[in-house]
Amino acid sequence: MTILEIWLGILQGFRVTALVTLYGLVFAIPFGLIFGVAQYLTTGPARFVVTSIIEFWRSSAVIILLFVFYYALPLAGLALSAMTVSAMVLGLNIGGYASQAVRAGLQALDRGQKEAGHALGLSRSTILLRIELPQALVAMSPTFINQLIQLVKATSLVSLVTLTDMTFRAKEISQIEYDPVPIYSSLLLAYFIVCYPVALFGRWVERRINPAREARCAV
Amino acid sequence: MAHSDDSPAVQITSLNKWYGAFHVLQEVNLTIPSGSRVVICGPSGSGKSTLIRCLNGLEAYQQGTVTLGTVPLGDNARETALARRQTGMVFQSFNLFPHLTVLSNCTLALRRVLSMPRKEAESLARHFLEKVRIPEQADKYPAQLSGGQQQRVAIARALCMNPRLMLFDEPTSALDPEMVKEVLDVMTGLAHEGMTMICVTHEMGFAREVADQVVFMDQGSIVEQASPMTFFTTPSHPRAQSFLNTLLH
Repeated sequence: MTILEIWLGILQGFRVTALVTLYGLVFAIPFGLIFGVAQYLTTGPARFVVTSIIEFWRSSAVIILLFVFYYALPLAGLALSAMTVSAMVLGLNIGGYASQAVRAGLQALDRGQKEAGHALGLSRSTILLRIELPQALVAMSPTFINQLIQLVKATSLVSLVTLTDMTFRAKEISQIEYDPVPIYSSLLLAYFIVCYPVALFGRWVERRINPAREARCAV
Repeated sequence: MAHSDDSPAVQITSLNKWYGAFHVLQEVNLTIPSGSRVVICGPSGSGKSTLIRCLNGLEAYQQGTVTLGTVPLGDNARETALARRQTGMVFQSFNLFPHLTVLSNCTLALRRVLSMPRKEAESLARHFLEKVRIPEQADKYPAQLSGGQQQRVAIARALCMNPRLMLFDEPTSALDPEMVKEVLDVMTGLAHEGMTMICVTHEMGFAREVADQVVFMDQGSIVEQASPMTFFTTPSHPRAQSFLNTLLH
């Protein structure tokens, strides 16, 4: 089997890798935002509940979560597709990490920002949406890009719940060809080729969404 | 929210505040008539900033009453919101919103609190930027401005909300010496227009020129309250005398 054939074989799994990543983001972004903000704003028992949910998704092993949700939920009468389980588990796991970046970004803001908002008579929600979150999210954007790259790489686990992603295809080809070195080397490179543009995209986004910093650099 | 002309702009009665066991404000009583300019001075940690932060609800207090015009400041959000609608505040560290342009800094509250249409808000903001003499900076970001310019934006931002009372919390303390004057000039201009102002500052020249009352605080209490003439020439309290001696030598 030529290297080109190996590559074309692995590429057949790209669509699933991309779909799990995109659907994963559908879970990760709202979870990270809502739970990060909730942890920042709540106190007492409410904060305990929020933190517990975040910790469940952040502190559990992804591979075990995949197995549990894929194989155990049908026993409780809830059968989700492999794609749904994969996107949900990977997305909420990354969302758990992202929530901490959101919270850290909010907590790192100068207290004077919130006070200036209050002094102007702005409501708490307006302060959060117009003053705090825009600054926190921009400050944390390199972390979010990190997590997006981690999500792409984590999709290699979905081959364990029957999805035919790039890793699954590499395993298939390897079992046919008995020549793992070029196949897994190609797979390694394939993930790099997918992830590196994400990193470049991240830097571009960072420049675009941070006009204040660009302005400061231009002074 | 309107109050009659004869009611004081601010009435503080028996105000007490503690940070844990530390009694930061002790039995503070102060009446500030409308249109007056009060300078609060005193050594670090004397409670000056805490006192003016109590006037717009940025600090909670445990005992006493604060009345702005005829509106008593209480614990509930509605009273606090009313108090904040009447007051503008300028902070030592400017606290401009760095992700917004100068113009957007000034229009944010107009648009979100007063629901003013964009064009009207921008026109009003430009008017006040003109007033603080930096109309040409409207489209820049705060980080592109000098400290003095940033503080003037902060003053314009507060003025946009048409406050009855302006609170200044050491507005020149974070500025290079040559930028202090441009900010004080704007504040002096406001004072001459009749704005009620309470200013925590160590700028004794400003106090002498602009204030009609100087309040001296020490260890959480007001220990001397006098006209600038009396305060600077014949301060009665020994603590005020030693404070002035330190400043002058």
